[in-house]
Amino acid sequence: MKFIDKKTIQIDKDINELDRLVIKFIRILEKHTIYVIVSGYVAILLGRSRTTEDVDIFIQELSKENFRKLYTDLQNSGFWCLNGENVAELYEYLIEGLAVRFALENQTIPNFEVKFARKLLDKESFNDTLTAITKIGKIRISSLERQIAFKRYFLKSDKDIEDASHIEKLFKKNIDNRRVYEYKKMIENEAAKTRKRQ
Amino acid sequence: MKRLKPGKDNKEERMNFVEYWANYVRTHPDKVWSRQQNILINSMMKNAKNSKLTPKEYLKIKGEL
Repeated sequence: MKFIDKKTIQIDKDINELDRLVIKFIRILEKHTIYVIVSGYVAILLGRSRTTEDVDIFIQELSKENFRKLYTDLQNSGFWCLNGENVAELYEYLIEGLAVRFALENQTIPNFEVKFARKLLDKESFNDTLTAITKIGKIRISSLERQIAFKRYFLKSDKDIEDASHIEKLFKKNIDNRRVYEYKKMIENEAAKTRKRQ
Repeated sequence: MKRLKPGKDNKEERMNFVEYWANYVRTHPDKVWSRQQNILINSMMKNAKNSKLTPKEYLKIKGEL
């Protein structure tokens, strides 16, 4: 596994069933919108010795009509939505900033937790993505610095802190610690704003 | 490669393993570490197919229902 340029990581790993499912799902997504994978699956793709029940994905906001097209495409490709079949209702969830989950039909896990990127911090995750090149296709993931900061300073569970440490130890020469710090500050500012609003 | 250091408690033990494994991934070809990782992941994928957990039950567990 190595950076072939600042924005691209080449991963020559043997592909597992989760990778295949992720590729199948994102090939559909990218026909309709821009996506970025964040959180646990990123650490797993980069070698972390754990598995996951859900793959977190931000997508750029769609109109209701275009979301309907995406939903139909997913359905025709063998996926179902765990939150229901009422597309208008699912769209409302997304607009409210909630996630909807898709899995292979008649399965519950693993699933794809899909959210519209609506908050500023979420929208910014599209600005510094990395492309992971695997044997079966490209996967767009958020930057390593962003991953580390979100897992260490926002999510903060033992699992998330371990994911952050894995990425840091693996790519120590490639990580820009100033950017991690900038993300940390952005997360703290966002949290302060949320506290003020409550 | 550094040996795996035992931890004083579960948390330290886990963190030592994270460090050990990241070092392993960094110093071994992708094919080598991924074959080991895939045993874990493919086994989870196989179990998931047989899981009887319904979407309703799952969303309840996640606090989303």
